[in-house]
Amino acid sequence: MISIALSMLFLPLLSAAVTLLFLRKNGNLASLLSVSTAGGILVLALGLIFSDNPDALAWDTTWFAMGGWELRFGFLIDAPAKLLLFIVAFVGFLIHVFSLGYMADDSARSRYFGGLSIFMFSMLGITLADNLVMIFVFWELVGFSSYLLIAHYFKTDEAAKASRKAFIVNRVGDFGFLIGIVLTYWTYGTVNLSELADLADFSPSLATTGLCLALACGFIGKSAQFPLHVWLPDAMAGPTPVSALIHAATMVAAGVYLLLRIDFLFTEEALGLIAFLGAAMGLYAGFCALVQRDIKKILAYSTLSQLGYMAAAFGLGAPGVALFHLTTHAFFKALMFLGSGSVIHACHHEQDIFNYGGLRKRMPITALTFLIGVLAISGVNFLSGYFSKDAILLWAYNFNMPIFVILYAGAILTSIYMFRLYFITFEGKARSKYAEDAKENSFLMTGPLIVLAVFSIFGGYHSLYPIQLGSYLGPDLSAVSLLPHHMWMIVLGTSAWIIGLLVAKAFFSKVLQDDPLARRFPAFFELCRSKLFFDELYQLYLSKIQDPLARFIEVMELLFISGLMVRGAAGVAALFSMLAKLCYVGKIHAYAFWFILGTLGFLFYAAGFFGN
Amino acid sequence: MTSDALLLLGSILVPAIGSVLFFAGFAKDEGSLKKLGYLVFGFPCLAAVILFLRFDGSDGYNFEVLYERMGLQELGITFHLGLNGVSSPLFAMAGIVGFGAGLAALHSGAERMHLYLALLALMQSGLMGLFASVDIFFYYLFHEFALIPTFIMIGLWGGRDRRSIALEITIYLTLGALISLGGLVALNILVDAPKFDFPSISAALDQSSLTDSAAFKIYGLLLLGFGILVALFPFHTWAARGYDSAPTSVSMLHAGVLKKFGLYGIIQIASPLLPDAALSWSPWLMWLALGNILLVGMVAIAQTNFKSMISYGSVMHMGYCFLGIGACSVLGVGSTVMLMCAHGLSVSLMFLLANFVRKRANTLEMDEIGGLGEKTPLLACFCIAATLATIGLPGFGNFWGEFGVFLSLGESNEHQIFLVLAALGIILSAVFGLRAIAKIFFGQESEELGKHAKESTISDLSRAEIIPASLILAALLFIGLWPASISDRINNEISDRYSHLQLKSTFSKPSCCPVDEDVSSTETPSSTSD
Repeated sequence: MISIALSMLFLPLLSAAVTLLFLRKNGNLASLLSVSTAGGILVLALGLIFSDNPDALAWDTTWFAMGGWELRFGFLIDAPAKLLLFIVAFVGFLIHVFSLGYMADDSARSRYFGGLSIFMFSMLGITLADNLVMIFVFWELVGFSSYLLIAHYFKTDEAAKASRKAFIVNRVGDFGFLIGIVLTYWTYGTVNLSELADLADFSPSLATTGLCLALACGFIGKSAQFPLHVWLPDAMAGPTPVSALIHAATMVAAGVYLLLRIDFLFTEEALGLIAFLGAAMGLYAGFCALVQRDIKKILAYSTLSQLGYMAAAFGLGAPGVALFHLTTHAFFKALMFLGSGSVIHACHHEQDIFNYGGLRKRMPITALTFLIGVLAISGVNFLSGYFSKDAILLWAYNFNMPIFVILYAGAILTSIYMFRLYFITFEGKARSKYAEDAKENSFLMTGPLIVLAVFSIFGGYHSLYPIQLGSYLGPDLSAVSLLPHHMWMIVLGTSAWIIGLLVAKAFFSKVLQDDPLARRFPAFFELCRSKLFFDELYQLYLSKIQDPLARFIEVMELLFISGLMVRGAAGVAALFSMLAKLCYVGKIHAYAFWFILGTLGFLFYAAGFFGN
Repeated sequence: MTSDALLLLGSILVPAIGSVLFFAGFAKDEGSLKKLGYLVFGFPCLAAVILFLRFDGSDGYNFEVLYERMGLQELGITFHLGLNGVSSPLFAMAGIVGFGAGLAALHSGAERMHLYLALLALMQSGLMGLFASVDIFFYYLFHEFALIPTFIMIGLWGGRDRRSIALEITIYLTLGALISLGGLVALNILVDAPKFDFPSISAALDQSSLTDSAAFKIYGLLLLGFGILVALFPFHTWAARGYDSAPTSVSMLHAGVLKKFGLYGIIQIASPLLPDAALSWSPWLMWLALGNILLVGMVAIAQTNFKSMISYGSVMHMGYCFLGIGACSVLGVGSTVMLMCAHGLSVSLMFLLANFVRKRANTLEMDEIGGLGEKTPLLACFCIAATLATIGLPGFGNFWGEFGVFLSLGESNEHQIFLVLAALGIILSAVFGLRAIAKIFFGQESEELGKHAKESTISDLSRAEIIPASLILAALLFIGLWPASISDRINNEISDRYSHLQLKSTFSKPSCCPVDEDVSSTETPSSTSD
């Protein structure tokens, strides 16, 4: 049992090490190794999920002990961990296969696949970890692999900047997370998740809003929520399969997973704040997505928005629903990112959707599967997103009306920008030479699309889930099914995507090179384009505050410490040396005189003239 | 004497003899010089690793070497070597870094190579000796053996302004060493210990009537002296200028190993012997340490030269060490020892790699490099790993040290302000570390680099460069992946000494949590909530 978990965790690390040491120059072997590792992880993960032991599986051993502190390396493989494990292993494997096709002509494949393996290692670590410090360790490591993979095309300035931005913004979140972990330890006396759960049950008065908000900083950084959301759109500078795996399906969702793992620590106020932040992000990112031209940026903002939905569900007290949406989102968002990858690959790395057009005829499989993803995320009835998103909406409708209104507006927006993306990319006429010459990709790339499309269709039927995967979702989802206003919500949900479809059809079904929205509503368009100036704000901080402050302190250091103190001290010493120099006049008489004076002084001292 | 003790003695004597041989001009031709160099620097490294593995993990000294009759026994001075739980990992670190520095020197092509190697080997001998000494006199003497070659080497082989920097660093560090010597001697005289070593002073202290104010003054002296040697803010300005100008091997040995002398002195001698004074001084120490982290960290951000940035970064990370010492707990001090080990490895690796960058780009001004990653992927790989190690990425040793220090700061309510401010350092170091990586290795090739590439071919790391770099990196990964390998022995060694300190500390720190194995849910909260 434990040997399965351990070998599953360390298999990708081993694969990355072998790649780094021996396969740096051999891209073919490195990619094969990495893909078979991902396959091995999937097999082991399935073995672990469907093993005899149906309940939580815990195991641990001492990792780092000092004083009274003891950190144990342990696994907590309970129902939510199993579900995320399945997503990571399954989606991860498909994306590895897709990468074989997508990265086939890349000269640095070894680095790419090595990075993917490190990522799999770190992500599995987060999934299985049984204590906060272990989560933090792997948390930083996913950040590192994300850094490495965003920087894959490091020759471009865009990738160089984006990778750094992603790491540093995440570090800001981790700063709070780290403080939260330290305070948790000194408040509860442990960082083990199961022990924390017991303690929090036993003495709920220990929970403070400050503590859980500090911990939630980790989520805000990793899941790119307000105000640390700025790194995710830039992270699209990395290869598209990376965006699918790390920046859509798994790593960014790990933030939500962290919240689920520690939900018992949260106070009402903190939950309310997270719900509100999440809902606001759901709407804000929708507006941003509406006006983007880059296919990956649209999907990135859409990811931000969907993460906001998950946070809102968590904040409203339905972690099971949040995890359910995380699951369906992993399927359809990975599907759409891979679909965009397929398009980008076919169009020679052109990413502006206004340079596509008419791709449905040239790339039928990609177009069809992408359409399924669009329908699923828009909440079209009986597809996966319909069930998970409407569960969140219904929950909000019953418990918090303002948040429902925000989320519902976000749902309409989602369907508008998604159909916009679909119409502009796949319908109409080709608007560039690349789009005219595009051809459907090989089966290595379309195969994963088809599999993910099937899961995007059927992923919403949680009653079909095996008990090992579904048991965490069960209670919350059955609570949802008992809520009132069910029919009303079906009407509202259905009308949301139909409104979106109609609006998108009206505006975007026949476009040329420029955005029709910019023509008809220029003020609104510009407002959305500005993204409320967050990037500018941070840029201003960097150029007007941080860097000048650093230079100012450097000058102060030079002036006061090096200058006044050290030079000053040296000056005093020099003064003494000048006085001393006066004694060295170079005449033997003078030296004899000093000698006698010294001897006399010594004699007087010995005789006790200076007092004793 | 056991064979292990012989190894311990040999790890000091071999470089010392090697130094004499180099000085006498043995091994004229290139090949035999390299062979001798590998032997002189390789032996201590090998011995240190073997002794690290053979250490039995208990508290007290292993592998003891004792010569009572040195002619100084009247003064209580004996030649007494041995390794305990604190010195064993540091001794191993000194051996590994020394090997890296020695290899770098052998391949540096410096002028007057024999003299260069002679001084470096002397330095290495002193470094191995200072961590192996039980006797405080020899601990100090070995430190001087390592320190004095530093001045000469900066003066002779340094970069810009080498004369004035050599002078500044000499005055500064001699002053620091003198003050700390004064403190040590005062301690020995006042407690009237029969022998000038740690166990006897510790035993004599129990019977002596050292007043609190005397203890306070002595601790202050030691802190000032050791603080200057470790570049405690605001006595840090020598460090960045010195490392910047020093030849690579000297920067590696000084910043990596020799600078730990002061921290080692505080941890092994000052704090456990004078616990009350340590507690009274701790707020001062911690505010100054924040100066290291925040102010020097900001100065590091402002640097445009890669090596200056590394120098300031290394000074910045000393702040965490002082914070751990200031926390006055087993967790804080133990984590500091881990951080000292990891920091020694990571910072020397950074200096080593900076030299590789300079060899290829002909400059260390970051704005003039750019896009080097395409030409030298392996160097980029090492640099990214080393940078991430210094900024505390898990998987490398530094993380555990920093994390332990942060954790120890959460213990008492008064220290939580330090926790919050010091944790800002993890952002600062990420800012300057990743900026350097992006400027040097990412992006398009700069004009200067392109011009330089036309004049001379830029090749990736050679085998002679890979060996020391990967050795140090492997050691960092070893600590990072298996922290218990060194934390257990540190814990065994200091838990008695510092729990003694904590026992006393409960008088002045009522809000402190009990640091027992079984921190039960009912008593911990009550102690933090009040």
